[in-house]
Amino acid sequence: MCRTAGLRERVVSQPDFEVIRRVLDGETAAFELLVRRYQQTIFRLAQRMTRNAEDARDLAQEAFVQAFRSLAGFHGQSNFSTWLYRIAVNLCLNHLKATRREDPADVDGNVADIRQDSLTTLLTAERDKALAAAIEELPPQQRVTLTLRAYQGLSHREIAQVLECAEGTAKANYFHAIRALQRKLEAFRDIDESG
Amino acid sequence: MQSCDQIRDRLLDFTDGELGVDDRCEVEAHLSRCPACSRAARALGETVARVRTLPVPPVSDGLLDGFAAAVQRRIANERRPRVSLWRRATAWLDDFPGLRPVPALSAAAVLGLLLAIGLAHISRPPQPSPVTEVSLVGESISIAQNLDLLEQFDLLEDMDLLEQLPILRAPGADTSLRLS
Repeated sequence: MCRTAGLRERVVSQPDFEVIRRVLDGETAAFELLVRRYQQTIFRLAQRMTRNAEDARDLAQEAFVQAFRSLAGFHGQSNFSTWLYRIAVNLCLNHLKATRREDPADVDGNVADIRQDSLTTLLTAERDKALAAAIEELPPQQRVTLTLRAYQGLSHREIAQVLECAEGTAKANYFHAIRALQRKLEAFRDIDESG
Repeated sequence: MQSCDQIRDRLLDFTDGELGVDDRCEVEAHLSRCPACSRAARALGETVARVRTLPVPPVSDGLLDGFAAAVQRRIANERRPRVSLWRRATAWLDDFPGLRPVPALSAAAVLGLLLAIGLAHISRPPQPSPVTEVSLVGESISIAQNLDLLEQFDLLEDMDLLEQLPILRAPGADTSLRLS
């Protein structure tokens, strides 16, 4: 049992580049280690982008399959996770383009549980719903940048690597996204203050 | 001393903790004496906090069950990713620490090596093929194991035409054709 645990620990702690080398050497099954390591991260990214769990799961799976297909082209100039993010982001953007919704505000009924009949809870739910809708209305590059920054915790430099743009561009996209959302939230701030 | 506009341009970095110590102290000093910028900083901070704490739509139980297995099933049908010979060669050169800082030199070395091999192959005089006998009389073809000649095998398909030549048809003529 201890031996198994030790083996698992060794496998889990194996750096990405070693796992990739094993896959490229023909050990296809080793790719599962990478999938297990990043499946939550990529799924969460896709979920934030699509706000639909099933779509997010399918996109995340597709991202891993595409990563496997292109693994020989991964040169290790960035982290594997950055490279994987790039694949997933492109898939999400294509998905959003293909399934552009007419009224983004109406699609998200699960933002918060509004069973409690208190004004505060209701207001919070409405504000979250408006915020989610405002994020969906952002231009795609701003939306991706915001997601990577606010929810995935990437630095501006890492975002620039994922989106293959200048660091300043990534920073500007984030800035404009936050300012746009701030304008949307100002209406709720007025209500907060008057309440 | 920076103006309010200059400070507000850096408020997001300030809120995100992206500023260095000196810059942060400078912004904090400005905010302590400027109520308008202080209000702007507070509003920006609230916005960032609300964005970050925005709930993600709930995921149904078991949605990600078998996720990794499903990916493995899909990639089982894919071709195994293969690294090109060029990449393997350059990766091998990269193992030499002295060459690592100069990837262009590594690439040039590999290119030179390949070029030298190619030139050596081209400049090598053609090797005479082993004698191959083709018997027209017995209709049996005996070919030495020579791939170069096998590639020219389509020439033998024209043997019927050669057979029609008068010299080959003359009585007593040697009907075995010697090719080299």
